[in-house]
Order: sequence, then structure tokens, then C-alpha cells
Amino acid sequence: MKPKPKRRPAQEADTPRRDSRPPGKRTANKDRTRKAILEAALDLFSRQGFYATTTKQISRKAGIAEGTLFNYFRTKEDLALYFLEREVDALISWFGHDNRLQGAPLPEQLFAVIHRLFERIEPYQEFIGAISLRGLHPGSKLSPFSIERGQINLRYLRFLREILEASEARSEIPRVGEIGAYAIALFHVAMVAHWLNDESPGKEKTLAVLDRCLKLGTTMLKKGGWDW
Amino acid sequence: MKSEGGTGALVRGLRLGKLGLGLTGSYLGYQVQNLFLGEEKRAERGKSMRRAASRRIRGELGELKGPMMKFGQILSMQTHLLPRETIEELATLQTRAPAMHPSLARARFKSSCGKYPEELFAEFDAEPFAAASLGQVHRAITRTGEKVAVKIQYPAIRAAIENDFKLLRSATFPVRLTGHVPVEILNEVQRGFLEETDYLHEAKSMDYFRERLACLPYVTVPKVHWDLTTDRVLTMSFVSGEPAGEFLLRNPSSAVRDQIGERLFELFEYQIQCLQAIHADPHPGNYLLRMDGTFGLIDFGCVKRCSMDLGELTRCAVDRSWQYDSAQAERLVFLVWCGKVSAKDPRTRRMLAYLKDFIDLVFPPSPKAAAEVDFGNPALLHSVTGKLSQAVGNKLTNPELAFVSRAELGLYNLLHQLGARVRTREILDRCVDRARGLQAG
Repeated sequence: MKPKPKRRPAQEADTPRRDSRPPGKRTANKDRTRKAILEAALDLFSRQGFYATTTKQISRKAGIAEGTLFNYFRTKEDLALYFLEREVDALISWFGHDNRLQGAPLPEQLFAVIHRLFERIEPYQEFIGAISLRGLHPGSKLSPFSIERGQINLRYLRFLREILEASEARSEIPRVGEIGAYAIALFHVAMVAHWLNDESPGKEKTLAVLDRCLKLGTTMLKKGGWDW
Repeated sequence: MKSEGGTGALVRGLRLGKLGLGLTGSYLGYQVQNLFLGEEKRAERGKSMRRAASRRIRGELGELKGPMMKFGQILSMQTHLLPRETIEELATLQTRAPAMHPSLARARFKSSCGKYPEELFAEFDAEPFAAASLGQVHRAITRTGEKVAVKIQYPAIRAAIENDFKLLRSATFPVRLTGHVPVEILNEVQRGFLEETDYLHEAKSMDYFRERLACLPYVTVPKVHWDLTTDRVLTMSFVSGEPAGEFLLRNPSSAVRDQIGERLFELFEYQIQCLQAIHADPHPGNYLLRMDGTFGLIDFGCVKRCSMDLGELTRCAVDRSWQYDSAQAERLVFLVWCGKVSAKDPRTRRMLAYLKDFIDLVFPPSPKAAAEVDFGNPALLHSVTGKLSQAVGNKLTNPELAFVSRAELGLYNLLHQLGARVRTREILDRCVDRARGLQAG
């Protein structure tokens, strides 16, 4: 995660001059603490639910003072943003390392990406549901239109565009320009909503819908005329 | 089966049913209606056009999976009803439906078994080697080194079946009103399909048949690996052999084809006489034939356990004494309808007339009793299937018999494909003796 410029001075003021270690190490330590907080929070969310988890519990589990927690994440929204960012990065890195997928047809690649995300966020459904609801509030940092969220969105859109460009290079689809990536990202959001509400065993309905929509969508992309 | 009225009703039904379709169901259903409309109009335009249309139908039915695909498979067995090009295209549904891509298959496996296939098997082939209406089959090797076939079910197939039957019910509304398709038959078929979605049920059937068919040494039934089986994933020992189409490309001698034909016939009669349960999914992909005259029997999703005494029904029908003995005729009518229709009903007389013709064809009368029936003769097949269709057309069906007739028609089509000559009467007598032996024992 790129450190949030707003927060940085405050944090540095909090961590006093006593700290004589080189800045690289200090950043690494901060990163480690940030990760530890998120892990502690996610563990509690998955076991006792998002709403039932207090900041006190999170800080105790992460082994830090409650006050220190607020230095890292001022609100639960900040925590959620960090989580989203981590998931997007993990997804991009995972895809890049899967050699078999690199050569797979477009619908399968997109299926694998979205399914991989579902698999990762499976234990935190209530948390994801809460994030999605908060995101509907226009003033929230979690809103898809917020500046904070915008950076994560852009990273994901770039990633999708790369997948589409590779597919174009394989002559699998004609040039689809930016709109392809936007359409898939939007579809992805809709699929998360479907997934959250899917009560079928193993969420198999989501798998079916995802697979069929992606095949249908690819067929539509193949028709061309998307490069506006 | 595919009369003008039927098709019209089907099209109307599809249009109605479209409104109620969820995305998990046959969301392409409306495309099938166009295909069927289009196919009729294109009928005159020569073979190439017909082939193209058939290919599209196959593509769509394969994509829809579930009962719609099954419907395609059943159509492909009606060799006398459809143009040859259409049948050839539809026949490929039997083993080559469009597959789930490896990512989806793995996801399905994990959601059912809790782990990815590569975590549970020593080797797992990501590409399926066969696809059926409800699932696809992958080769794998277990940790103990055994070659197995792993069947993985398509996602949300149960919901798709429920949707397709809603569709089928509205489609067949007019013919249900006239009584040509009794509602019990639809219920029976739907029950059968839903049962097929539970692989644990199939695994139990496989165990049952494996044990009971052990006395027919030429049939191989796969062994279930229960530790790697769930309601959506079925792991069984690998069975070698090829479906009839590919088998015939090897030019087996007529002796081998006759031998296999006779054994297939014996397998069927043995089930009727001795098991009171039959493997009722007879499409050629389920019989894996081998050049040494043996074969594998797979796919036990559709097994029919009969409450009516099919063995006695066959013995009584083939005995022919009902043709002059009214008590015997009454008994036969009782066996067919389980006492729901009286022997005096005019329908029964028509049924008995069809039955006589049918029996004469498949089990020729006395002087020729030892003789072979040549199933390769297209005229014979045409008459046999024609008689069965007439029985359906005259509302003479007992819902219990729906699956049995399907199995029987499938068997005759397979025997026809093999061009087999079969000593039907001799085989039946042998099975009847075995049944007596079993009862006595």
C-alpha cells in the first residue's frame, strides 16, 4: 500500500525521535504492524463477525495498545480499504505466477481471477457485506467514487486491461479499448453481490452464473465495435 | 414424438417458460425455440444447411446441459424419426458435450470435496476425457496408484433441471390436456433426473450392480472409491473400451459384433428377470465395447427399480398363450397397468395387437424359435420402434414403463448400430432359468 500522505506526518509525530533505526527498517516495521492488525481483525471477523468485533479486541489480539491501533487505522473504513488493496495486489500477483492460466482462453482467465477472489474472501463474508453497504454512502471512503478507492480501482482496471490486451494480441477478441476493462470490473462488483447472497451448496449458483455470463460476455466482445 | 402439434406446443411453451427462467437455468432456452422454428423452415434446403442447423442445435443443447441435453440425447436415439445428419450431430452429445474449463472443474471439485484435486490424487488430468449431461469425467491416479475416472458435476444442475421442467410442463400443457403425455410420466422423468444429480445415489447403484452382475463375467462395472466420492463428485475405477461409434471404426468381425450383441441382450433380459432393477440410461456412450467381446457398463445415474413384475410381464407376453386364453390376457393387462385398466377397455385390445406384432418381431414364433433376429435390418428396427411409439401415441403407457421402454429402445438402436444377430428366445429362456434358480436358491 502506498502510505496515505495525510496520515504520514501524524504517525511520524507519534513515533518519537528516540527511533534511531534507518527509515527503511522503520517502514518495514510499520508495514508488519499494519499487517498484524489486519490479520488480527480478519481472524476476529471470521470467527465472531464484523459487527461484534471491537477495536479493543483487535488491538489486544494484535498485541498493541488501542491508541496505537488508531495511529494505523483511524476508522474501520481505513482498515477495509487496506484489506481491499491487499486483496487486489494478491490477486494480480497470483495471476502473474500461474503459468497455465497465462495461455488459457479469456473466459477461463476471468473466471479464475474472480473465483480466486471469492476463495480468498470466503471467511469474511459479513465483513465484505458491510464494506459493500458502506460503499453505497456517497461520503464514504469505500464508495467506488472516492479518491481513496479510486486508486485501488485503477490498479485493478489496469490489470484487467492487461488481460484483455493479451487476449487481443492472441487474436481471441478484437480491440475493446478501455470499455472492456470497465465492463468486467462492473460485472465483478455485481458478481460479489450475487456471491454474498448465494445460499446454494458450495455457492454453486454463483459458479454457474459466473461461467455462463463470462462465456456470453466474451461472445459479445468478439462481435467487436467496443473500441470507442 | 415430434409431430407438428408437439413442436408448436413446445415452441409456445418455451416462449411462456422464458419468462420464468433464472440465469442459472436454461437462459438460452429462447434460442432453442428459434432453432426448432428455423429447422423446420430449413428442412427443404438440402443436406449442408441441415447439417449446419443440427450443429447449432447440438451446440445449444450441449451448452444448456441438464434435461435439454438429455432431450438431445434421446432424440439422437430416434434413428427413424430424424434426418441422418441431425442424428450424427446429436450423437456427439453422448460423449462430447462442451466441457467445463479446468478452472471451473477444479472449483467444483473443491467446493464439494474441500480440497483441490491435485491435493487428493497423485495425478489428475485437468482436461476431461468424456462429458455427459450432468457432469464431466477426468482421468486420475489415486495415491495408492490406481487408475480412476472422476466425474464432476456441472454447477447448479439441480436448479437448471427444476427450471427446465417448469418449461417442459408449460410446453407440454396441450398434450397433457389431451392425455398424450400423462403428467405422471413427466413427474417420473423429473424424479429420475433429480435422482441422477445425487452421485451418492449413483455410487450405491453402482455397488449394487457390480455385485449382482458379477455372474456375467463379460460385463465390467466400475468400483466406487467411497473416500473420494460426494454427492457432486464420483470417483470410480477406470473402465477401458470404446463407445459403439468408435468401436466400429476398428472393423470388428461380425462374430465379435454378434457376440457383443447377444451379451448386451442377455444383460438386459438378466436385469429384467433376475434383478427387478435396470440400468435405464442406454445411450451408446455408456457401453464401452472391447475387441475381445467383453464390455464395460458405466453411468448408473439412471437406474430404475421396478415395483411391477417386469420379469413376469415379459414371460407372459412371450408365452403368447394370452392370444387365445382370456385369463392369460387379463393377467397380462393387469401386469401392464397394475390393475388400473380393465381387460375389457377397448384400449387394451389395441395394445395387445401392438404387443403381438412387437413380440413377433423380437421373439419370432415357434418354428424359428432357435433362429437369430437380425437387428442390423433397418426394417426390423423401424417396425419395433414404430410399435413402441404407437403404444405411446395411443395413451397405452404406464409411467413405470417410461424408463424401461427408453432402455429397451436404446438397446435395440445399439444392436442395430452393431448390426448384431441375436438368438433372442434362447437368451431369454436362459435368463428365465437363472431367475428360477435364484428363486429356488
